[in-house]
Formats: sequence, C-alpha cells, structure tokens
Amino acid sequence: MIARVTQSTMIRDLLGDVRRLERRMADAQAALTSGKRLRTASDDPTGAALAERLRGESRDLAALRETVSFATAVLGAQDEVLAQADGILARARELAAQQSGSFASTASRQAAAEEVAELERALLSLGNTTIGGRAIFGGLASGTAPFAQLDDPGFDPLNPYSGPTDPFVVRTADDTTLRLTTRGDQVFGAAIAALDGLRQTLEGGASPEASLDALDQAAEVMRAERASVGGRARRASERADEIRAGLTRAEVQLGAVEDADFAAVVTELTQLQTALQAALQAGNVLQESILDHFRL
Amino acid sequence: MALLDVLQIGRSGLVAQQRALRTTGVNVANVNTPGYSRQRTDLAPEAASRGYGVRVTGVEQIVDALLEARVRAQTSAAAGSGARRDLLDAVQASFPVGSASIGGALQDFFASASALSTHPADLAARTDLLQRAEALAQRIRGTARDLATLQRETDRRAVDEAGEVAALLERVATLNRDVARATATGGDANALRDQRRQALDALAGHVAIRTVERDDGTVDVFARSGLGLVLGTEAARVEARAGTATGLDGDALHEIGVVAPDGSLIPLGGDPGGTLGAALAVRDESVPDAAARLDLLATTLRDAVNAVQTDPAGRDLDGLVGDPLFAGTGALDLTVALTDPRGIAAARSATPGDNANALALVALQTAGQGPLSGATFGDFFGALQARVGADARDAEDRASVDATLLDSAAAQRDAVSGVNLEEEFTDLIRFQRAFQASAQLVTLGDRLLESVLDMVRR
Repeated sequence: MIARVTQSTMIRDLLGDVRRLERRMADAQAALTSGKRLRTASDDPTGAALAERLRGESRDLAALRETVSFATAVLGAQDEVLAQADGILARARELAAQQSGSFASTASRQAAAEEVAELERALLSLGNTTIGGRAIFGGLASGTAPFAQLDDPGFDPLNPYSGPTDPFVVRTADDTTLRLTTRGDQVFGAAIAALDGLRQTLEGGASPEASLDALDQAAEVMRAERASVGGRARRASERADEIRAGLTRAEVQLGAVEDADFAAVVTELTQLQTALQAALQAGNVLQESILDHFRL
Repeated sequence: MALLDVLQIGRSGLVAQQRALRTTGVNVANVNTPGYSRQRTDLAPEAASRGYGVRVTGVEQIVDALLEARVRAQTSAAAGSGARRDLLDAVQASFPVGSASIGGALQDFFASASALSTHPADLAARTDLLQRAEALAQRIRGTARDLATLQRETDRRAVDEAGEVAALLERVATLNRDVARATATGGDANALRDQRRQALDALAGHVAIRTVERDDGTVDVFARSGLGLVLGTEAARVEARAGTATGLDGDALHEIGVVAPDGSLIPLGGDPGGTLGAALAVRDESVPDAAARLDLLATTLRDAVNAVQTDPAGRDLDGLVGDPLFAGTGALDLTVALTDPRGIAAARSATPGDNANALALVALQTAGQGPLSGATFGDFFGALQARVGADARDAEDRASVDATLLDSAAAQRDAVSGVNLEEEFTDLIRFQRAFQASAQLVTLGDRLLESVLDMVRR
C-alpha cells in the first residue's frame, strides 16, 4: 500500500494499465483476424509441439490416402481382369466338353482350336493388363510386357512369364503393408498351359477330354486369386475409411489446439474495450486538481 | 529593543517564507521531470541571542537511499528481461508455426517419399522428391542463417551497449566532480544529484550496478561482479574488442570489459545484467543452443537419408547403387547433392518396379533416431520449436513481472520523493499566509515604533 500518492504515480499507473489493455486488445484482434489462437510457439509451447505432430499425422494420412486410393484402383482392375479370365476359361471348358468324345469331327475340332487360340491370346493379353502403363500382374513394373504373346517366336506355354518375381507392396499405415500384386505366372500360368494344351489337342483332331481337369484346376487357381484380391481390396477400403476418420480426427484436434474460439475472443475484446474506456475516463478525472477548488 | 525585535522577527519570517515559496515553486515546476526528487525547506527557530524569529537551515532533497537502490536494481532487471523478451521473440520468429515451418517441409518430404514408394519408376514422383528435399534443405539453411544473422546483430547491439555504458560512466564521473565541488563550496548540489541519479538509472538499464556514496558527495559505481566502474571522479574505460570466440557465421564475437592499466581487457564477468547482459546471454546461450539443435537435426537427417540412398543393396532407375542425396557439414550448408531424379535409389533389386528402398526411406519418418535421443525427426523439431517458444514465453512472463515490480518500486520511491501537486498547492497557501502574517508583523512593529516616536515628539 502506497501511503503517499503522487502525480507521477497516478500517471504511471494509468499509462501502465492502458498499455496492458492495449496489448491484450491487439492480441485479441490478431486472434480474430487470423482465426488462430496459436500464432507463435510462445502462445502455447506445448500446443505448438502437439500441433506440429498433428500436422505431421495429417500430412502422412493424406499421403497414405493417395497410396490406398492407388491400391484400390489396382486391386479393382485385377478383379475385373480375373472375372474376364474366368469367363475365358468357362468358354474353353465349354468348347472342350463339346469336342470331347467320339461325336465331334476333325473339322469341328480344328475350328474349335482356332477359337481356343483366340481365347489364349485374350488371356495372355489380360495378363499384360496395365494401369498407368504398369502391369498389374507384372509387379506393377512399367516397360516390357510380362507375358510373351502366342505368336511370338519360341513361345513357351509352360514358361510365358518374364516379369518381376517379387510382389509389389505398399505402406498403408506406419507398420502395415499391403501386397498389391501376385506373380503373373502364379495367376495365369496354369490357365495358359491348359488352354495351350487344349488348343494343341484340338488342332491334332483328338478328343480334349483330358484337358477338362487342367481347365478346372486353372479356374480354381484363378478364383482363389480373385478371392485374395477381393480380401485385399476390402482391407484397402477399410483402411481408406480409417484414414478418412483419422484425418477428420487430426483436423479437429488441430483446430482445438490452434484455432481461436471466436465467441470467447469477441467477448474478451468487448470487455477489454469497456475497461480501456473506463481507464481513459479515469485519465480525465486525473486532470482535476486542487486548483479547481482553491483560489490563490 | 523589543519593538525592534518584532521587526527582526517579521523580516526573518518574510525571508523564510520566501525561500519556502521558492522551493515549492521548484517542486511544482519539476512535477513532470523524470528522476526529480522533491525538496523541502528546513526551518528552525532563531536563538534569542540572534533576535528570535526563524531561519532557513537548508533545502533538503527527500530521498531514500534504499528505495533508490531498489528502483535501480529493478530497472536493470526490467530492462534486461524486456530486451531478452524482444531478442527471444526474434529467435522464435525463425521457427514459425504451421506449414511454413521446417516441420512442414519434413512432412512434405516424407509424403513425397511415400508417393515415390507407390510409383517408384515414375519420373514425376522422383522429381517431386528432389524438389521437396531441396525445399527442406532450403528451409533448414534459411533458419540457420536467420540464427547466425540474429547472433551477429545481437553482438553489434552488445557493442553499442558497451559504448553507451562508457558514455554514461563518463557522465557519472563528471557529475561526481561537480557535486563534490558544489558540496565543498557550500553550494546547492541538489540539481546535480538529480542529474546524476538520472544517469545512474540510465546506466542501470544497460548493466546491473551497485553504488556507494562517499562523504564528499561522490558516488562509486560497481558492476555486478564487483568490478569498479566509477571511483570518485574517475570512470573506467569500457570497451568492446573482437574476442577469441567465433559466431555461427565464423567471424569473431566481441568481448565487453574494462581496459586495465596494462591495456588488457578485464571482462565484466558472468551475467552483467541489464540490456547488455540480455544481449550477451541471447548471443552466447539461446541462439547457439537453438543452432546446435538445428545442426543436429540437419546432420541426422543427412546421414539417415544418405544411408538409405547409398545402401549397397539399393538400386536407382539404372540399376546402380545410389549417390548421397544430401550434402553439407551442418544446417548452414545443407544442400541437395543429387540432381538426376533417375539417381534416386527406390529399389533394392534390379527388378523394374521394385519399391523396397523407397519404403525404407518412408520408414525414416516414424523411426526413432539415435542421435536425436530416440526421437523422430518430426518430434525432435516439434520439441525444438516448443523449447524456443517456451523460452520466449518465459521471457515474456518475466518481463511482465519485472515491469510490474519496477512500477511498484518506482511508486514507492515516488511516494517518498515524488511531487504531489495537492501538497504543494496547500504549502503555497500555507507559506503565502505565513508571508502575509510576517508582513503584518512588520507593519505592526512599524506602527508601534511610530507611536513611540510620537510620544517622544510630544
């Protein structure tokens, strides 16, 4: 408690109060105009570190979203291709069944052989399907097609695949990966061999009864791969949902850390304005002195 | 005789009240003068042998030495913490929050690495990674240069502070001489003391000081370390000289000290306090600390990324082992050495489409780094930013507290030494009335003497 109040004390106190109020008002106005509570690290050092982590999390999730979106596209394309391949095998089995036994003529078998050759070409072409120039059954590599063509010289139906042997894997979370590809020969190898065997049998005019089993087994491999692709696509879809939720969560948390509470700031600004007006009014009162009351 | 005494008493009253009125006038005139201490006319009854009445024994300055010392100490603290706040705010400005930060560039770099892992042979993805790496290196370099520039500016400020301290010490020594002369000749040294007090207050803003007043009226000034700055009428020579320590920019930093008789420089020692102390502390501690952490981040990032890029198992787009991506010895000269996007070793085999090494690069983002005490790059930067922010926040809080304490100390000093106009005007009335009464006494004495003379004439 100051026992003796002087002019300079009153003026210093008034100036100090006004400056403090003006500083707080400037701070509140900056929060309003920028919309940010956290404008420098000193506004909330712990919050700044948390915001940095949340921004990193958000950016990483956005990158993962791109990856998962690509994975979904690749797996979707594989599913479509496998469905078409299944159709090819079904048609080949139909032809094999028609030409089995002793009723089919040689001419009919040779005509069937030509259709099977087309089916084989179509299957090989499906094996070389690309997305963005990258072979979806060739380790997602670009450049040379992984499967040789039926009409290529020296075509080996038992070894038509020359693509990468390792699967293509992408990161879908910090510690989780997702396999996008299966070696092309593991998917199409049996089917190509079965179709080629059927074609050669028919071209020779023989009954293709023995090819039926091979075609069934190849179709089984194809269906198993399609199931695997479906499972991985489902995982990708679930992960996409998780990422979307994670992004929303990170953005909400980031907003809570660094965004200004407009209602609170506006209220504070109003209070500060009132306080500043009162302080300035007090300054007017200070002008009154003993001179106003005494006549010397 | 008694009638003549009445005249003498009246005269002494007139003189004394005039002096008191003059003192009050001086107080009123200086109501807004910084550092002015109010004065009081001391009156005492005159002895009977000297004809009664009143006499002026002196004009006293109302000063409390303890409060003066407290204000001066608080001035040093407030000026120092205010300067520290401003300087640390500048350090903090080098570490902006948001996507413009180094953290944002780190996130962009790893997001680009993630895209590369999805499209390992894509030249656009490879080019983007190189560009993100360059942006990251540029941001780290920019921050390191900001810190180096700030340190150099702080050094220049310390040199300027030393110049101002030297000038103020000279002024105090000169005023000491004037005060001693005025005191010795019985003159009025109050105005000189006020000027010296102002000079000492200004000096306290630059460096923390301790003062001791001698019997002859001079004031000795000592630095916080005990080093004599002013002894009587002699001021020490404070100088800034290029020292042996070098700054972040490689140039020498200045040492501040007192020139010894042999020409050597005696350092002010420890934390000299005030704005000079703040400048030296930020120059020698805060900035180098932030720069060292930034350097550690830069070198760890360089080594970790290069280790993946130059892994003997890694292969670039041409099937070759990769060359280092980053080059440089620290944050100040961190650059991207790789220019050909084909040179990024995204694969771990010659098989086209392999992304194993790109995945290893992405994994660095979440991997704890040994040199960073197990923290990830992002967390380490976040902690660095929080540390710089906490220092700035702490300095801001300290400055606010010190300013309040200074206000409080100044209010207490003003309560003793400040001018209160109400008091002064009341005094004016008091002394005016006393003057009028003394004049009445002289008039009365005159009339009485005239009556006596009339009696004699009859």
